[in-house]
Amino acid sequence: MEVENTSSSLPVKPNFQPLKAHEISSGQVQFRKVPVPPHRYTPLKKAWMEIYTPIYDQMKIDIRMNLKGRKVELKTRPDTPDISNLQKCADFVHAFMLGFDVCDAVSLLRLDELYVESFEIKDVKTLRGDHLSRAIGRLSGKGGKTKFAIENSTRTRIVIADTKIHILGSFANIKIARDSLCSLILGSPAGKVYSKLRAVTARLAERF
Amino acid sequence: MPTAAVTAGDGPETTAGREALRKLKSTDPPLYLCPSEDLSKAARLASEYLFSSLKPYTPKSPFSHLLVNGFDAEQIWQQIDLQTQPLISSLRRQVKKFEKNPEEIRNLFNLGEKDKKNDGNDVGTISNGDEKMENEEGFDEFEDEEMEGDDDDDEEEEEEEEEEEEGNAHEGKEEDGGGGGVEDNFLKIKELEEYLEEDEAREYGLKKEKKQGKRDQEDDNDKEGDDEDEDDDEDEEEEDDELGVMGVDVGEDDESGEELENARYEDFFGGKGKMGQKRKSKLLHGSDNLDMDGELSEESSDDEKNQSQKKQKLSTHEKELEKLHSTIEQMEKANLEPKTWTMQGEVTAAKRPKNSALEVDLDFEHNVRPAPVITEEVTASLEELIQKRILEGRFDDVQKPPTLPSRAPREVKELDENKSKKGLAEIYEEEYVQKSGLVSTAVSISDQQKKEAGMLFKELCLKLDALSHFHFTPKPVIEDLSIQANVPALAMEEIAPLAVSDAAMLAPEEVFTGKGDIKEDSELTQAERKRRRAKKKRKFKAVAAKRMANKVQHSSLQNRVDGNEES
Repeated sequence: MEVENTSSSLPVKPNFQPLKAHEISSGQVQFRKVPVPPHRYTPLKKAWMEIYTPIYDQMKIDIRMNLKGRKVELKTRPDTPDISNLQKCADFVHAFMLGFDVCDAVSLLRLDELYVESFEIKDVKTLRGDHLSRAIGRLSGKGGKTKFAIENSTRTRIVIADTKIHILGSFANIKIARDSLCSLILGSPAGKVYSKLRAVTARLAERF
Repeated sequence: MPTAAVTAGDGPETTAGREALRKLKSTDPPLYLCPSEDLSKAARLASEYLFSSLKPYTPKSPFSHLLVNGFDAEQIWQQIDLQTQPLISSLRRQVKKFEKNPEEIRNLFNLGEKDKKNDGNDVGTISNGDEKMENEEGFDEFEDEEMEGDDDDDEEEEEEEEEEEEGNAHEGKEEDGGGGGVEDNFLKIKELEEYLEEDEAREYGLKKEKKQGKRDQEDDNDKEGDDEDEDDDEDEEEEDDELGVMGVDVGEDDESGEELENARYEDFFGGKGKMGQKRKSKLLHGSDNLDMDGELSEESSDDEKNQSQKKQKLSTHEKELEKLHSTIEQMEKANLEPKTWTMQGEVTAAKRPKNSALEVDLDFEHNVRPAPVITEEVTASLEELIQKRILEGRFDDVQKPPTLPSRAPREVKELDENKSKKGLAEIYEEEYVQKSGLVSTAVSISDQQKKEAGMLFKELCLKLDALSHFHFTPKPVIEDLSIQANVPALAMEEIAPLAVSDAAMLAPEEVFTGKGDIKEDSELTQAERKRRRAKKKRKFKAVAAKRMANKVQHSSLQNRVDGNEES
């Protein structure tokens, strides 16, 4: 463009739209493949529509189930607005596979700051046989009340899958939940954990 | 030089003794100040000689002769003392005896002594003998003191003086009855006798017997202070008169006696010449004028004359007045002087004499309550009180004051141990909505419970109010859209309580219309039972048919939709 008139007048700033998923990868489609563990196969079947609808309609990501390979495949469309949508969808599906409920996992799609943290019991303390069983029992409590107590107080969701533990929530809440769970694994009684939880949640509530 | 000794001693010893005495007497007094063996030996010999010469007169003495060799001065003196003490007392007794019976003296001395110069004057012989005795005694004492003088010089000189005085006093007293052979210039026996007679004549009957003894003492002292001055004589007579008039008062005599006790040597023996005389007269006036010590003037005698004249003329009333005046004078004098420390205001320790506060009974405030005296009654009353309190159960325990709540109690969020009904996303959604303030919904478990509790309480209150009806409370307005069929359009206020009133009473038709099963199952007959069952079946069939019809409609609709989609 010729700058004829005056030195003071600059050319109009070009306004670029954010790049679409396609344009970023210069027209190539991006995939995500999430394997389905066997124990989640039937729940996936039951909850397929609830998973499919938000991904396809709101996230604008193609999703399909590869029955032979037992995988859920995700693919970007040309009208996918943001590249991060694909990753969010993949995380959502992965969370479902870990064991979370669809309604809980959907929060991953809606909120940015939520994460999933996984750790094993043996990471905290080496337990064998009966001790391990007892630890797992301590974690969940009678009828799952301890787990629900932690979930409700810290606004997280916890999945205890044998020796693996998964926590879904915001970063600070994950930390609190993790501390509680670790103390339970290490042997402290539930009452002690409750009291600590109460104190912490009161502080949290005060802040906000 | 001592005269011929009465005793018959051993020849050589006596001569030695006499030689020693002569030697002692001849030496100058200053030589006694330095210790010398010759003098001490002479003194010992002399004392031995004297001791042995006196020995016949002391039947009770334990020593046959004075033990001198190797003995202390003190020990020698003690020996002499042992001898002389009974001797002196026996001599005194004898003199008194002779006082009473002068004839015996004559007998005694006519038998005993033959080398006397004065046969006629028995008294003189006696006096001489007495003198000798006394002289010897005096010498004894004197020489004893001289021996001691070897050891302690100064003290003995003083002692010597004292003992001389005593010796003279002894002489003075012992010679009451006897003649005045003592050359003192104080005592003239003739005058003494005259005076005594005059006094007794004058004062007999006015005085009590007791005072005569004291009187005599005073007379003696008067004699000693006597001069040839007639004035003084008159004074003393007048003094005696005064004392006689006032003799009723015992106190005055006492005072005069005290005054005389306090008299000094100078007063009696004219240490300062005339002044001594006047002092003496002053002492006698001590009963009348207290502070005469300062006044040694000639006025004293004049004053005494005047006073004595006055007092003879005064009546008892006037005497009392005199006393009053004197007391007034004293009090006025006391007022002029500075007050005693007890009457002054604030007195520090420096302003009062030492330890004076101990003698005075001080009164000061005690700020401390005195400790209670624990008696049986007190303890009994205390125990009674304790028992009563225990029975009542009323202990005055200290109660903590209620602490004011500084801030409102925080709502404690209880841990919900049930599975949350909302999903995580919903929770976050609600939180976000609350934060942004789009929809305000205070949905918490505690609120619901509070609502429920509130509802229950209102119901209860309504029922209670209906029973009592003291405060009319209309029915609570519960906002719920429910259609009540059988309720009157208007609700009027009733006087009677709700429970009793029949405003809400239903009509019998409203309670029960003719429809419905009237008879119970147990009352039915067989035919009626069958009829009921058939009825039920018909109803059920009708309802089922309706349902099927609806389902068919639905499915047909859906099929149509599917068909559209497929195509």
